[in-house]
Amino acid sequence: MKKQVTLFTEFTKGLWDQNPVFKQVLGMCPTLAVTVSAMNGIAMALATTFVLTFSSLIISLIRKLIPTQVRIASYIVIIATFVTIVDLVMRAQFPELSKELGPYIPLIVVNCLILGRQEAFASKNTPIRAVLDALGMGAGFLIALASLGAIREILGSRTLLGVQILPDAFEPWLVMILPAGAFLTLGLMMGFLNFMVLRKKTREEQELLSRHLQEPKMSLAKGQEA
Amino acid sequence: MKTILGMLITLSIIGVASGGGLALVSSWADPLIAANKKAATELAIFQVQTQAKDYKPVETVSYECYRVFDASGNAVGYALPWEGNGFQGKIRMMIGITADLSTLTAIEVLEQVETPGLGTKVTEDPFRSQFADLTAEPQVDWVKGAPPTRENQVETITGATISSKAIVAIVNDGLQHLRKDLAEGGAQ
Amino acid sequence: MELILIFFSAAIVNNFVLAYFLGICPFIGVSNKLSSAFPMGMATTFVMVLTAIVTWLIYHLVLVPYHVEYLEYVSFILVVASLVQFVEMFIKKVSQPLYRALGIFLPLITTNCAILGLALFIVLKEYSFVEAIFYGVGAGAGFTLAISIMAGIREELELANVPKAFQGAPITLIVAGLLALAFMGFAGMISV
Repeated sequence: MKKQVTLFTEFTKGLWDQNPVFKQVLGMCPTLAVTVSAMNGIAMALATTFVLTFSSLIISLIRKLIPTQVRIASYIVIIATFVTIVDLVMRAQFPELSKELGPYIPLIVVNCLILGRQEAFASKNTPIRAVLDALGMGAGFLIALASLGAIREILGSRTLLGVQILPDAFEPWLVMILPAGAFLTLGLMMGFLNFMVLRKKTREEQELLSRHLQEPKMSLAKGQEA
Repeated sequence: MKTILGMLITLSIIGVASGGGLALVSSWADPLIAANKKAATELAIFQVQTQAKDYKPVETVSYECYRVFDASGNAVGYALPWEGNGFQGKIRMMIGITADLSTLTAIEVLEQVETPGLGTKVTEDPFRSQFADLTAEPQVDWVKGAPPTRENQVETITGATISSKAIVAIVNDGLQHLRKDLAEGGAQ
Repeated sequence: MELILIFFSAAIVNNFVLAYFLGICPFIGVSNKLSSAFPMGMATTFVMVLTAIVTWLIYHLVLVPYHVEYLEYVSFILVVASLVQFVEMFIKKVSQPLYRALGIFLPLITTNCAILGLALFIVLKEYSFVEAIFYGVGAGAGFTLAISIMAGIREELELANVPKAFQGAPITLIVAGLLALAFMGFAGMISV
């Protein structure tokens, strides 16, 4: 690595700059499927983060021992092991939540986000960096799932985390709870975020441009003074 | 040759470690999972049979069915988990019925994937409460768009007629099986 | 009759992509051209049917008799990964043109959640062996249908004046949302 990235950046890059959902468009299945409520989204993100963090830690610890030909096979076995652990623990301790999330917990195994981070990051970096990266990505995933879940829950069933926040007079938008609502909400959210980023960029460009336009005048003025 | 050996050894070690780890976790989790399942069934039984204090599985039938008893040990009826097709997928429910199989005590939908906001109304009152003390002989019947006139009728939900009918059909199907099997196997 | 219902239920009513959100990654990634979307769908269908067969056998002949159901996910994902590898080698040997058409999509299929999802749903729904095969074919057909329709729409979208912020993933998701709404019309037609 030529440019040493600080440990702090290793964590924060996942929150926004490389947000797994909004920027990298990874891990879409769980993002769309379980976000009928904010609680489900948060639970899913936490489960994913757990699997991601521990797989990253193990894989980065043994990264030099795994022959390259069998690395993908080794990764998926390790990931699947942690997913099974999460599934068993959830079924034992949080049966209600586990029933809600249903088959989407085992599907964490094939969440492209997890395998992607192992291949792109954990297999090439030290354990501490790998864990920070995993936690950052997990947190980014949490932000995306919680906000998507919150929007769908508020508009679709008038509640947030189970507490009613919109008055009864507000007719719930049923489409929000349906599969179609998931696609539409995420599409609109991503479009809106892109729009904000684009607007910020054009504004910065304009500022830069106007500064450049002003500079020669200033130097001219300076020159006159001298 | 050496690389192949290395590959095999690595994969075997990972496989054994994973299997061993999972065996440990699962030996801890399995009893808890079984207990959760039992608690959920128990809760559903007591929801459809409010007088019940105790229950025992009926052993003469090939499916899950529970005979329930009140505080003084009298058999007050049965709780029957049954499933069938709804609008979009399986509906699983618990049916409560009196000991003579003539009157429903209550129903409870355990699992369903009906349309949110429309089909899911079958799990809620007032539709659900129509089944309390409903005559189930000769079978449960439904009417559409009008209040029930006979004792064995329920009114379907506007916008969720198929889901409503599905619930009625599952209740009838379950009861039909139970009646037949209990008559054959000797009810008491 | 039941088998045909299972097929249509998996293909249309409970479409894997539009109702269960399985296989979204390739759905968004590969669906920009019909000429690549359709082969991708076919390759996925092929792997799905094989997966349905092999995982059913493993679950009922190995995992259940030996009471090691907790190895379900580990063994299923290994099956999927090795099947994909095997199919890739097989196609390469047998037909070069087919390999050139499908080859690049095959590695993508391993991380397609639709495949593992299929294996898990078969266990969950307690399907028999034959039912599992029909379910696999139906799910594959549904995936091919969804991804092909999507590709057709996206080819037209190329000519449309989409706002800059919505180009790429956002507009694809919105179109998928509208498609999902349209597919809801099939709900209740068949229920298995």
